Amino acid sequence: MSKLIATKAIRGAHALVKRAEEELHLAIQQKGPETKVEFPNTGYYLPVSHGILGLHIQTLEGLQDLLDEAKKLLPALPTDKLWVPYLGNTLDAGMATLFADEIIEAIKYTQDPPPYLIEANPDEEHLWIGAADDIIMRERGIEFVDGTAPGFAACVGYCPTNEMAVKIARELQEKNLYVFMSAATDGKSMAQQLREEGIQMGWDTRLVPFGDDVTATIHSLGFATRAALSFGGAQPGDYQRILRYNKNRIFAFVLALGPVDDEKHAQAAGAINFGFPTIADTDIDQILPSGICTYEHVVSPVPLEKIVSKAIEVRGLKINITKVPIPIPYGPAFQGERIRKEDMHVELAGQFQPGFEFLTTKDMSEVDDGKIDVFGPEIEDVEEGVQIPLGIWVEVAGREMQPDFEPILERQIHDFINCANGVFHMGQRDINWVRISKEAKAKGFIFHHFGTILHAKIHGEFGKIADKVQVQIYTREKEIVELRELARKVYKQRDDRLADMTDEAVDTFYSCTLCQSFAPNHVCIITPERSGLCGAYNWLDGKAAFKINPTGPNQPVKKGKVLDADKGQWKDINDFVFQNSHKTLEIFNAYSIIEYPMTSCGCFECISGLLPSTNGIMIVYRDYTEMTPSGMKFSTLAGAVGGGVQTPGFIGHSKQYIGSQKFISADGGAKRIVWMNKALKEEMAPVLTEIGKLEGVEDFIDKIADETDAITEEEVLEHISKKNHPALAMPPLF
Amino acid sequence: MKTIAISGKGGAGKSTISALIIRWLKDQEMGPILAVDADSNVNLNDLLGVEIEESVGAIREEMKRSAHKLPGGMTKQAFLEYKIHASLKETRDFDLIAMGRPEGPGCYCYANNLLRDIMKNLSDNYSFIVIDNEAGMEHLSRRTTQNIDHLVLVSDPSARGIRAAARISKLLKELDTRIGEKLFVLNRVKKHIPDVLGKVIDEEGLHLFSSIPEDDTLLQMDQSGKPIWKIAEDSPAYQAVHHMMQKLLKREKNGV
Repeated sequence: MSKLIATKAIRGAHALVKRAEEELHLAIQQKGPETKVEFPNTGYYLPVSHGILGLHIQTLEGLQDLLDEAKKLLPALPTDKLWVPYLGNTLDAGMATLFADEIIEAIKYTQDPPPYLIEANPDEEHLWIGAADDIIMRERGIEFVDGTAPGFAACVGYCPTNEMAVKIARELQEKNLYVFMSAATDGKSMAQQLREEGIQMGWDTRLVPFGDDVTATIHSLGFATRAALSFGGAQPGDYQRILRYNKNRIFAFVLALGPVDDEKHAQAAGAINFGFPTIADTDIDQILPSGICTYEHVVSPVPLEKIVSKAIEVRGLKINITKVPIPIPYGPAFQGERIRKEDMHVELAGQFQPGFEFLTTKDMSEVDDGKIDVFGPEIEDVEEGVQIPLGIWVEVAGREMQPDFEPILERQIHDFINCANGVFHMGQRDINWVRISKEAKAKGFIFHHFGTILHAKIHGEFGKIADKVQVQIYTREKEIVELRELARKVYKQRDDRLADMTDEAVDTFYSCTLCQSFAPNHVCIITPERSGLCGAYNWLDGKAAFKINPTGPNQPVKKGKVLDADKGQWKDINDFVFQNSHKTLEIFNAYSIIEYPMTSCGCFECISGLLPSTNGIMIVYRDYTEMTPSGMKFSTLAGAVGGGVQTPGFIGHSKQYIGSQKFISADGGAKRIVWMNKALKEEMAPVLTEIGKLEGVEDFIDKIADETDAITEEEVLEHISKKNHPALAMPPLF
Repeated sequence: MKTIAISGKGGAGKSTISALIIRWLKDQEMGPILAVDADSNVNLNDLLGVEIEESVGAIREEMKRSAHKLPGGMTKQAFLEYKIHASLKETRDFDLIAMGRPEGPGCYCYANNLLRDIMKNLSDNYSFIVIDNEAGMEHLSRRTTQNIDHLVLVSDPSARGIRAAARISKLLKELDTRIGEKLFVLNRVKKHIPDVLGKVIDEEGLHLFSSIPEDDTLLQMDQSGKPIWKIAEDSPAYQAVHHMMQKLLKREKNGV
């Protein structure tokens, strides 16, 4: 990051801490140290200092402790000559700023009357309403947790025109975001602009004018801190959890509108601590690398027309509107919650009871939208602590619905049910596992609500393809075991269809750069017919990993123009590999061992290598430590083949790839295999026999040598000549 | 959520102290507690008086071995998560997870990458995580266990044990794991610490945070195969851990 922006933020922090000190000194002199300080009607004291430091400040004197903490954090200003890493210092300066803000805002409330209207909405005379009280917090905070409101935009400064201010406010409202406004610049603020245009403001319209002072920005972060304390289960003083909760759960960001001075830079630094990035329309220094925030930290200049969509992108916000009508809170915040046995009312399916989840397509006339039936005992019929079976059968109808979508929708059952607070879900298909907490039951959650959730979410997320949804919930073993058999038949058909998927059938492959930490120039390209060389990732895993983590090591790569169909070369794949191998690899063939073969990190399950005199290749598995006919042991081969370099004549690959139709298909395919280590040969025997049959080679397995037949290339040649191996009759390899 | 990890040379009493800490947290009603057995040599579960059926290591191996025959349509992430949650040993007072044996040959990048995410999500459900670490700290170096708030370095009253603790302390500086504070604890102390050991402690730059006395109760429980979990509250070792934990949590409150 740039020294310039760090310097500005640190300078701003110094100014604000100094101001806090002066104002506190003055206030104590005038009003006495015992004077009460509080934000009105809250049990969270001064929320940021209470949450982050665990302080219980109630008097002016108590603010002194907070001031001391702020001073402790305040880093020295970077000097002209000193170049050090700045992010840590900037974050500290940001936190010091927030503490100073809170001191200054708290002192304001000791004035009589306070400069803020203590109401949920502004009135004719008073625009600024200051800190939210606990009633607002409880009403509004839950919306952040259940996803009704994904987060907030803290808007500082003003827009060039009132019209633009209104447009931005509307755009944010449409995304269900709260708009928190503070910090006027040169006496102009977004809230005043909205007022001039006659826009209704207040908590009711989600357009909240906190205050014109730069320090009023603290009320945004105070709100965020209280959300973590009351909904995130964080204890006062557990700053890590509070900050992490905000980063992961509250999709907030700062919009810096108009000129950004030192003190606003300092506020931005404070927000970064919470994982909230800043997006500015003026040209300020950027902090692009990710680290604290999910993506970039400070992005500018962004034209005002695009600032909302840019902010949403930078914060990684996903808009999700559907409200699920169940008596327990629902939202992504509750994913990953484990219900402990101690807290559990009932366990369904899992390791001790049968279960399944199944989604199928029906004709439009057969589905009664929203119909949910429970066959077997409901939750009130089962005793606390018992384990019972569970079958979930979902029927979907839609003009755009296709059987191909069934598994995709079915896999979502896990995510959908897991979002309910007090419901734990694991697995899928016939190894599902659910727990319901005592608390969820007490609040009125019943088995019927599984159907309610699935109906609402399938409509909400797959509205394009699903027009009607009905759900049957089974909690009796008899039906479950019968229906599970039906479902299993379909699971198998789906798997077979997947197994038959070809590289030609898709237009996108997935990259894997997980191993670039030690092989910086290596890129795996995973195709349906060539899994990752470590054997861990197949194409579907790559696809799923990308869905889970869109900025992770698995990225979708379009194939683009076919350059060579036989060798497996595509224009866009070449471009991607070139960029991501740090411009070391220009060309790459997916199906050849001879010409521009794929590189390896070092994690390969197997290495294939040419044995020139035999007109074929050998394959060795990584567990085999003895000498191979290539004259090298696996470890030596690995050194030559790994590290992201192209080594014509050698490739690293997964076991699975040996059975693929695309296994070195440009060079003649599996028929080229003349030697394998015995253990690998035996494991792969069923697959190789199958290939032999297809290729019209009898006893193919018998024709392939292993270490009991041959350990030198000469011996291999001798063996295959005797057995009349098909490789001998094939065209020369090079 | 707070993470306390216990490490030190083999035989220094890591698992015993781990078990005592878990018991103390339970007595103070500070749960829910997740106990992590990250030492494949000693079995924390025995000291806590519970059986464990499957370890994370075994699950990881199973996933690697059967990578292309997972239950149909299931991603490895979903499979691993399911299995790990299923392997958790649940009691009224704590949940226990065993990390199991270290890695075999082959590439673990992918499996460990998944494991990190799953462990992180799981940990978020508890107020305290107590990790009984093996001396080699493999799970820390692979970052399959969480960042640590308090690292308790345990040694028996021997120069070798103290040096081992100091070595671990230095080693951790080189790792990518964030550690809040390191606390050196001397275990099985007879009456007082001999000067010669005090000297070694100073030489190694360690500061004694607490000492746990030699306690016949523990020895007897060990001999009769009774889990340490059942230790009487007035036993000297429990009392020492009581003072140690009070001090530890108080320091934290004061932001040390």
